[in-house]
Amino acid sequence: MNLRSLVWKELRERPWSVVSSSIAILLGVAALVAIRHVTVHSEQEISRQLSSLGANILILPKEASLQNYYAADRNGQTLPEEHVTEVLMAGLAGVEKVTPKLSMPASLGGLEVTLTGILPQSEFTAQQAWQTAALFTPKKHDGCKKASHEPSDADKTPESLNTTRAIDNLEKNQIVLGADVAERSAFSAGDTVELLGGTFTVLGTLSRTGTVDDSRVFAHLHTVQELAKSGEVVSAIEVIGCCEDAAGDLVPELSKLLPNARVVTVSQVVQTQVGVNRLMSGTSWFVLGILVLVGGASLASAIAANVRERRREIGTLMAIGATPGFVQRLFLMKALVLGLVAGTIGCLIGLLTAVLVGPQWAGVNVVPLPGLALLAVSAATLLAVLAAYWPARQAAKLDPCLCFQEV
Amino acid sequence: MIRLENVNRTYTRHGQTVTALQCEDLRISAGEYVAVVGPSGSGKSTLLSLIGGMLSPTSGRIWLDDTSVYEQSVVARSAIRRERMGFVFQTFNLIPYLTALENVQVPLTLNHVAPGDQVRMATTMLQRFGLGDRLNHKPSEMSVGQQQRVALARTLVNDPQIILADEPTGNLDPTSREVVLKAFDTCYDEGRTIITVTHDLAAAARAKRRLVLTDGRISEESLPHAKAA
Repeated sequence: MNLRSLVWKELRERPWSVVSSSIAILLGVAALVAIRHVTVHSEQEISRQLSSLGANILILPKEASLQNYYAADRNGQTLPEEHVTEVLMAGLAGVEKVTPKLSMPASLGGLEVTLTGILPQSEFTAQQAWQTAALFTPKKHDGCKKASHEPSDADKTPESLNTTRAIDNLEKNQIVLGADVAERSAFSAGDTVELLGGTFTVLGTLSRTGTVDDSRVFAHLHTVQELAKSGEVVSAIEVIGCCEDAAGDLVPELSKLLPNARVVTVSQVVQTQVGVNRLMSGTSWFVLGILVLVGGASLASAIAANVRERRREIGTLMAIGATPGFVQRLFLMKALVLGLVAGTIGCLIGLLTAVLVGPQWAGVNVVPLPGLALLAVSAATLLAVLAAYWPARQAAKLDPCLCFQEV
Repeated sequence: MIRLENVNRTYTRHGQTVTALQCEDLRISAGEYVAVVGPSGSGKSTLLSLIGGMLSPTSGRIWLDDTSVYEQSVVARSAIRRERMGFVFQTFNLIPYLTALENVQVPLTLNHVAPGDQVRMATTMLQRFGLGDRLNHKPSEMSVGQQQRVALARTLVNDPQIILADEPTGNLDPTSREVVLKAFDTCYDEGRTIITVTHDLAAAARAKRRLVLTDGRISEESLPHAKAA
């Protein structure tokens, strides 16, 4: 027998007392886990939807407007390409992807197109400065993906230009055709084409998006810069920002970072969707407060009552040689077990609730987030131990002479 | 050797100071069997608590061999109780959610004895008290006499030099009372020091030395069959 088995046997002796003392923590953890899971998945879903719509933040030349961008940014104004480095080096919270672009008019087989230079993601990883920038990526909320330019499976095909606004690899002699261009020029993957005096291979064609991208021809940024003889400039920098940050601090921070550029966001779309998330996030903080207050107080009160009803037992243990530290550990370990069990069961209930109600409540499919679940269980356990600290200290200070008193 | 040197213990209740025990010099040699008798409220339990290192005196010193008990830390006093003393209580004070075997294992647990050895030692001790077939019974499933035997087994399992008993026969039927007193006789024969507080004059008569407590003051009554200290 040891301290752990003493705790376990006492808990088994009073199962209803165990349930009543830890029910508040169990329910609190369940609610918190359910709300946070739905919130995180909702944020990720919004982020994914915004990514599929296009960049939610645009960095444009000072005098350019959003109309210029949607008119295929052919107004002639440009930004230094080094702004891309500045954005990455700043390590701002919520920056998920940065894609610089330079557009110019061109003719492809007699067809007027917009030639847009883009920087493949592999170029980011090749540059040491931008690699280092990733080390300084600041804290961000759970829904955001880490700002990273590591190649991902999603970016490996030309179609990723539509889905993630980026492409992993694009050689300097390769182009990708928008849906309209491909249809009207009848070129397809593997064809060789002449463009602005250069010879290019068609890497692939994009599916129809219904946007200006359908009439673009995408090539490597540095190739377009050479063809345009523009030097190291870009006409726009698209930033895929995490939805909440895009609606919050990210735009002013980018404006402060790049005072000579114009930073705009598709704010109406972002604000509406982020509003829902902020409500759920606020609710989760409220539930956390309730959990700490009600759960902690309830457990502290239950442990204090347990100490009172076991005064004779504590006195006896001390009389036969238990130290105050042993008595304190006896109650703290009981609280730890209660917190761990209540936290784990609450977490499972919360996960189940989130998986079941997520699609109806927020229109998102929820999958368990192990990190969040672990955090919830750890927090419940820590809360239980902290709540039991004072009653356990009181138990350790009890007079061992209690063992001589009549019942 | 246990020695109380100018020990005074007072309590303050409702603004009034009450002297619970006053003792100029009391010596109890190793191996003595001492009964402490006296009316309720005369300070018997206070004396036991003082000797047991659980209640510090208001003034004076209590020695256990060469150690001044109350100049030790709380943890050191716990160790003294754990390693050198055994307690027997009037109401047995068994832990209700533990079986007989587990109750006897508790002092061994506190003494950091390995779990396998705990079971072996506790089983042997319970068998010695005729409880080999009650190892897995909880206190509520045993008779009063059996409970006191479990309590005795718990007291002796750590092989204490000193046994402090508070009305050990107070709640027992004659048969169970005899089992307890026989156990004390055996302990005395084994050379342990026994200090028992009792109202039971017949039980007190089994002791070899008798202390009488009246209003917190100790007087001594020597008995003809006392073993030489």
